[in-house]
Amino acid sequence: MLEPSLDLYGATFDKVDVVLSDLLVKSHARYALIVDRTGFVLMHQRAVWAPKPPSLDSLATLIASNYSANAAIAKLFGEDGFRETVQQGTDVGTYLEELGDKALLVTVFDASAPLGKVKLFTKKAVEQIRFLLEGVDEPRPTFEPDQAWSDDTGALLDGLFTERTHP
Amino acid sequence: MSTINFSAREINFKIVYYGPGLSGKTTNLKQIYDHVPGESKGEMVSLQTEDERTLFFDFLPLDLGKVNGFKTRFHLYTVPGQVFYNSSRRLILRGVDGVVFVADSAPNRLRANAESLRNLRENLEEYNLRLGEVPYVLQVNKRDLPDAVPMEMIRQVLDPSGKVGAFEAVAAEFKGVVEPLKAVSKLVLEKLAQKT
Ligand SMILES: Nc1nc2c(ncn2[C@@H]2O[C@H](COP(=O)(O)OP(=O)(O)O)[C@@H](O)[C@H]2O)c(=O)[nH]1
Ligand SMILES: [Mg+2]
Repeated sequence: MLEPSLDLYGATFDKVDVVLSDLLVKSHARYALIVDRTGFVLMHQRAVWAPKPPSLDSLATLIASNYSANAAIAKLFGEDGFRETVQQGTDVGTYLEELGDKALLVTVFDASAPLGKVKLFTKKAVEQIRFLLEGVDEPRPTFEPDQAWSDDTGALLDGLFTERTHP
Repeated sequence: MSTINFSAREINFKIVYYGPGLSGKTTNLKQIYDHVPGESKGEMVSLQTEDERTLFFDFLPLDLGKVNGFKTRFHLYTVPGQVFYNSSRRLILRGVDGVVFVADSAPNRLRANAESLRNLRENLEEYNLRLGEVPYVLQVNKRDLPDAVPMEMIRQVLDPSGKVGAFEAVAAEFKGVVEPLKAVSKLVLEKLAQKT
């Protein structure tokens, strides 16, 4: 089945995008990302002043696997999960909140953003996004992966290595 | 589980390379990374110990290009093969769409292959998945070893029914690396197409 991890499309997507931009302005964080728990980026925002982020695919995968490792640690002690996931380095830190049971909201901040603000506005953003997702009334777009799609994608797969193996 | 991102117009799949420790899973990903042209791949991430053993996973994102306006992306993962890293292996199987089982042809690893396959079945059960339902192929690696166990014997142990696609490989020399990746990916695509 081909389903989205979250119903982020159309007007909801635009509204969530505003929530993320707002979060960055109010907390003075660098980036805000929504990733699903299998490690795919769902959407992201970057503050206008922030330096170019590292590979978002790498970031999302590490965030999702770090989250699941932490959840497994919590479980070892009979906890449902850890309430707060903050990582702080000398210059950069990350703060994570769960977004339902399929996704995570992560804020990446530096020394210019007070942790208290980051936490506060990330928590608020999560509430707003949850509210928006609950209120989705647009019909979900559809995509039918039929045989022709499978064949065409398979052909792309066949071409994946060609450039280098036959220079 | 394959997912679609309507706003980014992406269809996403997760393929996991599974198998006993040192069978060549990481080597597969490195070789794929080395042989896929730049625009079709992302950075490779490896979480490993100082002696280059996989501690948590290796990760490589591939981008196939667009069909019908949607980009198809495959995320490839390896698991740590050593027995004691089972909780990491289980975590990596979350959301898996297809599995390449990398078996080792060394005679003294025959039992490790079988145990790893059993472990795969058990861990899939945690996600209510059965190996028969998950697209799955077998790569029999290290065929260059002078004392490599005959294919027939390995198949008898790992796939007595003979139904699973099996590929001989020397992953370290990029032989038999592309075929199992393509085969499992096509099974994943076919499975999705048949459901609709
Ligand atoms: N002889 C031989 N060695 C291989 C082959 N593929 C990988 N190796 C070696 O096997 C060892 C373990 O490989 P690695 O990919 O780290 O195994 P992993 O534990 O499954 O990730 C390394 O020393 C590789 O160089 C192969 O096809 N033939
Ligand atoms: Mg490895």
